[in-house]
Amino acid sequence: MSSPTDISSPAELSPAGAEEAQGAEPFGLGGSALRNDALPKALGIYPYAADLWAEGLLWGAVLRSPHPHARIVAIDTTPALALPGVHAVVTAADLPLGPEGIPDGAPSGPIVADRPILASGVVRHHGEPVAAVAADHPDTARLAAASIRVEYELLEVVTDPEQSFNVPPLHPEGNLFRHLPLRTGDPEAVGEIIVEGLYQVGRQDPAPLGAEAGLAVPRPDGGVELHLSSTDPHGDRDRTAACLGLEPDRVRLVVTGVPGATTDREDLSFQVTLALLALRTGRPVKMTLTREESFHAHTSRHPALLRYRHHADAEGRLVKVEAQILLDGGAYADVSAEALAAAAAFSVGPYVCPNVFVDAWAVRTNNPPAGRMRGEGALQTCFAYESQLDQLAAQLGVDPLEIRRRNAMATGDPMPTGQAVTCPAPVAALLDAIADSPLPALPLDDPEADWLLPGGPGGAGDPAAVRRGIGYALGMVHMLGAEGEDEVSTATVRVSGDHATVICAAVDSGQGFATLARQIVQSVLGVSEVYIAPVDSDQSAAGPSARGRHTWVSGGAVERAALMVRHQLLQPIAANFGMSVELLTIADGKISSYDGVLGMPVSEALEGKELWATAQCRPHPTEPLDESGQGDAFVSIAFCAMRAVVDVDIELGAVRVVDVTVAQDVGRALNPRQIEDRIEAAVAQSIGLALLEDLRTEGGRILNPSLTGYRLPTALDTPDVRIAALLEERDVVATFGAKAVSAVPAVVAPAAVAAAVRAATGLPVGRLPILPEDATVG
Amino acid sequence: MLPASLDEAVEALAATPGAVPVAGATDLMEAVNAGRLRPAALIGLGRITELRGWRYEDGGTAVLGAGLTHARMDRPDFAALIPALADAARTAGPPQIRNVGTLGGNIATAAPAGDTLPVLTVLEATATLARAGGTREVPISHLLTGLDPLRPGELLTWVRVPLLHAPQVFLKATGRSGPARASASVALVLDPARRAVRCAVGAVAPVPLRPLEAEAWVAGCIDWDARGEEGAALIDPAAAAAFGEYVAGACIPDGALDGPEGAGALAARLRRTVSVLARRALGRALK
Ligand SMILES: Cc1cc2nc3c(=O)[nH]c(=O)nc-3n(C[C@H](O)[C@H](O)[C@H](O)COP(=O)(O)OP(=O)(O)OC[C@H]3O[C@@H](n4cnc5c(N)ncnc54)[C@H](O)[C@@H]3O)c2cc1C
Repeated sequence: MSSPTDISSPAELSPAGAEEAQGAEPFGLGGSALRNDALPKALGIYPYAADLWAEGLLWGAVLRSPHPHARIVAIDTTPALALPGVHAVVTAADLPLGPEGIPDGAPSGPIVADRPILASGVVRHHGEPVAAVAADHPDTARLAAASIRVEYELLEVVTDPEQSFNVPPLHPEGNLFRHLPLRTGDPEAVGEIIVEGLYQVGRQDPAPLGAEAGLAVPRPDGGVELHLSSTDPHGDRDRTAACLGLEPDRVRLVVTGVPGATTDREDLSFQVTLALLALRTGRPVKMTLTREESFHAHTSRHPALLRYRHHADAEGRLVKVEAQILLDGGAYADVSAEALAAAAAFSVGPYVCPNVFVDAWAVRTNNPPAGRMRGEGALQTCFAYESQLDQLAAQLGVDPLEIRRRNAMATGDPMPTGQAVTCPAPVAALLDAIADSPLPALPLDDPEADWLLPGGPGGAGDPAAVRRGIGYALGMVHMLGAEGEDEVSTATVRVSGDHATVICAAVDSGQGFATLARQIVQSVLGVSEVYIAPVDSDQSAAGPSARGRHTWVSGGAVERAALMVRHQLLQPIAANFGMSVELLTIADGKISSYDGVLGMPVSEALEGKELWATAQCRPHPTEPLDESGQGDAFVSIAFCAMRAVVDVDIELGAVRVVDVTVAQDVGRALNPRQIEDRIEAAVAQSIGLALLEDLRTEGGRILNPSLTGYRLPTALDTPDVRIAALLEERDVVATFGAKAVSAVPAVVAPAAVAAAVRAATGLPVGRLPILPEDATVG
Repeated sequence: MLPASLDEAVEALAATPGAVPVAGATDLMEAVNAGRLRPAALIGLGRITELRGWRYEDGGTAVLGAGLTHARMDRPDFAALIPALADAARTAGPPQIRNVGTLGGNIATAAPAGDTLPVLTVLEATATLARAGGTREVPISHLLTGLDPLRPGELLTWVRVPLLHAPQVFLKATGRSGPARASASVALVLDPARRAVRCAVGAVAPVPLRPLEAEAWVAGCIDWDARGEEGAALIDPAAAAAFGEYVAGACIPDGALDGPEGAGALAARLRRTVSVLARRALGRALK
């Protein structure tokens, strides 16, 4: 990928540019531009999907299964239809028929089409949608939904993923989503030291503060327009159309107010049901989920069970890693197969090991379905392999940092999948950065300091029972789709007069893409006023906001389109001066020639002009992992090192994370403030997973679907996050040389917190979240 | 309805069948949103200013308005008066909740984890209940246990707290640093005049529990006349630890430990937590 020299250094503001930018607004790449939606969101005036309104709208409500596994014997909708104000009631029978001419609930899914929009015949998890109602008042809609009589015949509930192998299929597609064996090296190899461990990771929910909401408006042509906070508008449009038996162009998806998403937003059942109700009634239909429903509707992180055996030589160098990894995918396939690939491929972590033997499975149960969540698959194994390294260090009596240094991967080293890490892998440098970072002071030495004890302000903490622990962790995660997924995005850049517009269907889900796109255009074209057009599915596809892909793929498309516009702008000027375009540069809002003869403000060159270009970006292809887990499956990989400092009240088991210090491999810092924000957000979310968050189930039923029962970290639970280093070793194949930044800190933080709790308590800490009983000594 | 005086409020309550009083609405709206409650009418107490403050009575009693917010009770003037109640109010949820949530609402809700409840129990507070045409006085513990509950048409107006002028402590275990409901809490007060220790344990049972035998036992272990360094009343650390065990054993009986696998482990853990809290509470009170 060609990168013009004029954008490789952050542009400084010229006086003229400063005027246009109204003060000292950061300009271009490398600056810390502020998000446009930051202020409206902080002020509470940002319009979310739940704020949408249309004249004459009806309200939708969904009836969900109270059982985790049951056969639907009969559904009687007459009580609902009899209620005044009810306009429509839909069930699986109202969706297009299956291949055998009988209703099948129009199953769909990102990888396997196994999840019905509305349950047909069988319900497979607690909260599965069974029927939906549209009525003229939200209360009427809910009452009507509740009045629908469903006769269930209860079936045996499978909640233990290990049991899933031995029970009759819970679904015609079977119980195994994927088995991925990974074999490399000599199975007979043995090390002088062997450590074993069993690790468990609970069920983290994305728990978005903005619950699911949307509006569907029927169109005169028989189609439907959906206003949703989608993070994958084209994928959602295509799947919705397919489930409704419509051509894709009959469904239009308009992206509205995304409340911030670390995963997918509204699930497909929500979207299709909403559209179906609008089509049925011929009226706009709005639906907002309650907090409880929200926990039932969206997918959560895969709970995992991991068995590990590490062999090392007397110096602690890895000889062999054996592992069995089991991901509980819940009732439907979703992206389990993808999460499993990451779990298996990164099962050893950023370390070199010649012999690796791993079996990884993702299976179906009657638990809540699992799906995408920052670092899916990679996070669970990071906790396990880092715990193993701590055990190894303890057995050898060496420092946890030292054991990691001895095994650290470097650029060019092979992964267990056989793929060589060709991107920068500055693992040792990351370790050095956190090792050299100063430690937070112990408040005991400073009576003036306000020591926030574990248990919080006004809690029961007692300094005499508090132990401090320091833990280290390293981790890695891929970016972009893996295993042959076609990654592509398209963008249009238009310049008219003094401002530019970017049209790209990459949704800013909070990751900051809109800000980045603005910075790219500023850098390439020297225009300071850049608008980012609202996203809808009439634009060209940009793909989902997931897997850290938009900076690379959509950022690349924006850059190319901007470069094409730049060429159109400069060509006539170059021709005028009888020189080639390559001899002109745009910097500081000015076009200059190599010899300094020309120095024209960009605004002057653009006056009265309308220029535009559309471009695509498609990174190099990857290949699927083969039957022994071998293959060049990933486009690039990001690394991160973290040090966590915790205080533990060892009598009450209360843990407070005092400080997290991060060194991250970012390729190039395109917006340092935004990177720091992303790291803080990831650390906060992962501290939730490490200490608090667990969507608990009993017999498949969700026990705590509320924000009282499901404990999210607050400011008091979240530590100071310090950035020890953002290492800028450019990834030459990536757009601007930059790596995705959001997922890898989320992957590493739980392992670092666990290591610190281990250091404080001397306890093994084999499961996440770490509950008070896991951190109580004696 | 937004009555401006107590009389108006009790009249309105009597006149409107199915009407429910509402103060900060932090419990009430949660129930409404979850569909557990659908009140026919609401009687807002927010404009009854007299209920939002407190006064002294006969020198030895504080009379607290039911409309006192947790935030108000956390302020230094109040904390000097009834420190344990201020401690409880300080931890009763995040600031947004404590700014509007009230003492009366906390008592009327009577949640097992209601933070003011063990404190009011240990202080042996009483409540004034008003209805159209009369009032009655009920010990908080009777109100909570259902021995003498709040009746329809009644409003909780005042809480009478005997002042002790001696150390008092409220400790709450939550397992996290951010705001949360108690998994167990202990309120402990010293009553030097009577040479007594009183203790109540919250959140482990539907109502706060008083381990009376442990209270009496530990009062005998304290050297009430001796003043250690910095004036601390003295107790043998082993006795303080034994007190913790005693309290925990009384509140979580042995039977609970033999429950089914998970429940037994939970009870054992809770017992340990209560034991640590009681020991620490005693230690702080005697410091
Ligand atoms: C996020 C959150 C966190 C919380 N954390 C805690 C916590 O840590 N600890 C804790 O103890 N509580 C907590 N609570 C619960 C709640 O805030 C408290 O119980 C609070 O004291 C309730 O007071 P209120 O004024 O809001 O009551 P309301 O919601 O107004 O009323 C609650 C009930 O009491 C009745 N009522 C209110 N006033 C009177 C009166 N004068 N006479 C008769 N009946 C009356 C109402 O009819 C209603 O039934 C939390 C709540 C939330 C939402």
